[in-house]
Amino acid sequence: MMDDRFDELMRDAAHTYRKPAEPDFEAMWNVVAKESFGVASPTQSGLRRSLNLPRVIGMAATLLLGIGIGRATVTLKSASPTSASTVATSTVARSDSIPEPAPYSTETSQYLGQTAALLIALPSEVKAGRANEQFLSRAGELLTRTRLLLDSPAANDPNMRNLLEDLELVLAQVVHLENNQSRTELDLISRALEQRDVIPRLRTAAADISAN
Amino acid sequence: MANTVVAFQSAYRVSEPDLIARVLAGDRIAARELYDAHSPRVYRLAFRLTGDADLAREFTQDTFVRAFGQLSRFRGDSALSTWLHRITVTVVANAMRKVKRFRERETDLEDVHPLGSDSTGVDPVLRERLHRAITQLPEIYRTTVIMHDIEGYTHTEIAEVLGVAEGTCKSRLSQARAQLRAALADLAPELES
Repeated sequence: MMDDRFDELMRDAAHTYRKPAEPDFEAMWNVVAKESFGVASPTQSGLRRSLNLPRVIGMAATLLLGIGIGRATVTLKSASPTSASTVATSTVARSDSIPEPAPYSTETSQYLGQTAALLIALPSEVKAGRANEQFLSRAGELLTRTRLLLDSPAANDPNMRNLLEDLELVLAQVVHLENNQSRTELDLISRALEQRDVIPRLRTAAADISAN
Repeated sequence: MANTVVAFQSAYRVSEPDLIARVLAGDRIAARELYDAHSPRVYRLAFRLTGDADLAREFTQDTFVRAFGQLSRFRGDSALSTWLHRITVTVVANAMRKVKRFRERETDLEDVHPLGSDSTGVDPVLRERLHRAITQLPEIYRTTVIMHDIEGYTHTEIAEVLGVAEGTCKSRLSQARAQLRAALADLAPELES
């Protein structure tokens, strides 16, 4: 009898003994990230390792151009009186969407920039025969990062999720190029980019995150 | 814990070994994925062992900082969760030894914290006496009781986390329960009613 009562007490203790409240996991992560990874961006050092300097400069220039165009597009929309309601709706839609946690903003911004640079450079790289193993390995890395972001709170925003899903598809096609860089495959990728409006969406998303 | 790993692998597009490789390459997003997957249980274990939210938070952070720092040493012989919980138990045990005032603070907190609901019909006096008795157990017994009876780890899992034989783990649990019964001996009439 006493054993039964004791077991009942122990079962009760499982629910009542030092029952923890939900802590602020986000704040805890900030401490862990700072202590474990510091302020340096590992993705930037990865980029430096995998690409030579002229190409990095070229990609950076392309990226800046892309972000510039994206910002200009947003500014033009804002300045246009006829599209005021559209802009207002767009702003409301953005503010209504689930806010992306701050720690992901930097990562997402870097990722979008790097992906934009790679996809914009793709046709010329293939034509010049420079879409080598290193380039495709970079695409593979970006594909993995896409999947990680899809699993993260960054994908809570429906627009971002759609963009990431499209990028996953396109990058998977790029990775599949491998050493078989046929014109047909490149055309298929270009068509996918065009049909899904990927590059302009990528630029706008990068510009939005950068502006925020 | 095995269930946690299975759930983790099916819920995410990138497998845990791939995530570990990404973290080793310096990928913070992958590190965040691992943190999101494991931090709730690590925190819960730290809280159950310390009874202090601030300490549990600090020890959880410490666990992950150490884990990411030593991740290259993780060979995959056990589940990552087991490895993380082993670090947690070590971090908590070391800190408890260093903080001399810990036990007094722990006792104070037991007085301050409200106990759980009475919906199970357990006598609040009995409950509190048991809680105190668990808290006052020697560390090796308390850890075993908390992991097995409170947090639901299996003997195999506890043995892996604590680095002892499964038989040792069972023996410790038996000893711990005996000590708890002894601590409640004066309440035998209530226990029998």
